[in-house]
Amino acid sequence: MIRAIAGAVLVAGACCACTPVAPYQRGYLARPDMALAPDTGTAKALEKTYSAKEAASGGASVGGGGCGCN
Amino acid sequence: MAATEDREAPAPRARGGALAALTQAALALPILAIAARAGAAQVGEVGIAVLGYKERGLIKVTEPVIWANAQIAEVWEVQASAAIDIITGASPQLVTNLSGKPVQAVTGASINDRRNTGDLHVTRHFGDFALSGSYTESNEEDYHSRAYGVEGRWDLDHKLTTIAAGYGRSNDRVGSSIDQTLNAPRHTDEYMLGVTRILTPLSLVQSTVAIARGRGWYNDPYKLTLTFYPDQILPILLADRRPDHRDTLSWLTRYRRHFPGANATLQADYRYYRDDWGIRAHTLEVAWQQDLGDRWSVRPALRYYTQSAADFYSPTIPRPQPEIVSSDQRLAAFGGLSPSLRLTYRFAGGTVIEGTAGYVHDARSLRFGGGGSEAYTTLRAVFGLVSVSRPF
Amino acid sequence: MSLHRFAFRAMAAVNEVQVHAADRGAAAAMAAPAIAEVRRIEEKYSRYRPESVVSRINAQAGGAPVAIDEETAGLLDFADACWRQSAGLFDATSGVLRRAWRFEPGSAVPSREALEALLPRIGWQRVERTREAVRLPLAGMELDFGGFGKEYAVDRAALALREAGAESALVNLAGDLAILGPQPDGTPWNVGIRHPRVENVAIATLPVASGAIATSGDYERYLEVDGVRHCHVLDPRTGRSARGFRSVTVHAQTCIVAGSASTIAMLMGRDAGLEWLDGLAVAHFCVLEDGAIIDRFPATVS
Repeated sequence: MIRAIAGAVLVAGACCACTPVAPYQRGYLARPDMALAPDTGTAKALEKTYSAKEAASGGASVGGGGCGCN
Repeated sequence: MAATEDREAPAPRARGGALAALTQAALALPILAIAARAGAAQVGEVGIAVLGYKERGLIKVTEPVIWANAQIAEVWEVQASAAIDIITGASPQLVTNLSGKPVQAVTGASINDRRNTGDLHVTRHFGDFALSGSYTESNEEDYHSRAYGVEGRWDLDHKLTTIAAGYGRSNDRVGSSIDQTLNAPRHTDEYMLGVTRILTPLSLVQSTVAIARGRGWYNDPYKLTLTFYPDQILPILLADRRPDHRDTLSWLTRYRRHFPGANATLQADYRYYRDDWGIRAHTLEVAWQQDLGDRWSVRPALRYYTQSAADFYSPTIPRPQPEIVSSDQRLAAFGGLSPSLRLTYRFAGGTVIEGTAGYVHDARSLRFGGGGSEAYTTLRAVFGLVSVSRPF
Repeated sequence: MSLHRFAFRAMAAVNEVQVHAADRGAAAAMAAPAIAEVRRIEEKYSRYRPESVVSRINAQAGGAPVAIDEETAGLLDFADACWRQSAGLFDATSGVLRRAWRFEPGSAVPSREALEALLPRIGWQRVERTREAVRLPLAGMELDFGGFGKEYAVDRAALALREAGAESALVNLAGDLAILGPQPDGTPWNVGIRHPRVENVAIATLPVASGAIATSGDYERYLEVDGVRHCHVLDPRTGRSARGFRSVTVHAQTCIVAGSASTIAMLMGRDAGLEWLDGLAVAHFCVLEDGAIIDRFPATVS
């Protein structure tokens, strides 16, 4: 039977180790706004507007190269 | 009439042929064979965007970007993007205390710079393991960078946990449009380790640590410090001088939580940064992606940034004159707030149009806990991004 | 564009067609031929209807051959392919075993003698068929399309939807379904897999953009005696219930192949069945006899 996911089963005080998650209840997790690595060209461009003016950089991926931002 | 077989049961066929045999028999019937796609429907996406950025009184950047990604033969993923930065306007080049207090001064001719960047990312899936390789190149008149990266991802525990480990290497060459003899190298090795964990059917978290070791030329060839002393007639003019190494640590944690009742998702990212130049920085971005019906969604976001100054940052040249000193205010102590708003419209065929507008306000007063650098000139900038992307 | 749902009774169950369309009228125009097709197949092949093709063939068992049309010949060819690929486990003549089994609370497990009395009437290899006619050589032999009839109806209904112009639609006959394409915004449909032990609860929700899904389970018709569950998936060699799985769900290009693959896996038992599914290289999701889950659907979280 088709069932929309009605709600999650959450354990009170859930910690990382004791998840009640069935690993195959993936419907919501596949949504684009749940994505963790917005790798598209626009995400990189937006990140550069900040990193060109700040000292901190990186953390998400390796091999991204430098920028001669002056 | 003949019977099907004389034997009791047929010998089992080669397993590889079983699906083909059943499918062949099925398609002899008047039915449809539909591509069996689970999970994401699309095979790939192409997009173009234009970013515009303008600092009050300073530079203006226009950046067209194109990108594409595609899944090939179920096990390959390819991503590529290219961008051109067109930078015009004025850039602060001098910090001078002629007026008594050190201030950033815009001097010289206006800039007209162009930077080309491109990157390629290829991933191969092997069941629960994926291997990626990437290449990035960035070129402008006075700077060239080539970087390579390799990354492995392992899905564990019924795909509830993913571990990623990677290595990257950047080879840069720094030049100067005012000093043609400058052609200095810089190399950076980067190591990354990350964990992604699904917490509930509605939430997940990712935490990644990256350590980089850089060696080579870090001086900014355009930045100067001009300092007047009360007991000296002639000021001292010093070019930007930084260490010849930079070791950094970056720890990024991302959290996503969907609220089905509200049709919205909370996105929160926090990054801790430290390096051996003495800089400590924190970045926190919180966004709320809200769906409005089938087609529209809106995403207000707020980003807060705070950093401490580099050990060798000084807007005036100290006496006795140190080996390394820089007045570049990007190495100063300051904080910044950047609100932004994104509006997304999704067409029936899958095409997406997105517009983002944001404001950046970096100031000494915004540094967390106070202590912002005195000479820091407030940065005010606006940016806008419009993008169109189409899945296929 | 909005989602319209049409529930209907057929094959002794509540079924559903879901269609994305501009309005309910347009949706109904697409759903109606699909629903009509399901009813047509039920009338033509249900062994519970005396005028059906299957009933007429069974009535003539041990007698004269019965003329059949293209569609029936194609279905018999499919049943033959299943028999060959399963080394004889999938046998369209094993329906006679229902005479020994009563899947009602309080019933007893049939005795060895009762089952052995029926076994001589089972044997697909003895069915005499051409593309024009079919004959069951022994009185008391029976053809039963129950192993693939519902799945065929799903495929035919999907074709009807496609021919009526539907692009983002699905047809669901009590858990066996076909999905024509993703939802209009590109997101997949969420398909809930019935929990084999808990009513009205999904044990898993799988995002499916297109394709057919069929499930074989030990919970549809079963008997539990002394803590052991006997279900309606019966081994034609022994007459006994298949063991090893609580349910098997397969994702394939057609529902008829997904259905026979899941049934054959159940008949093969746990180890052989899992090996069979791996060899087929279809996405599958199984719940083993002890409750453990084997999840071979592709990952969707990046």
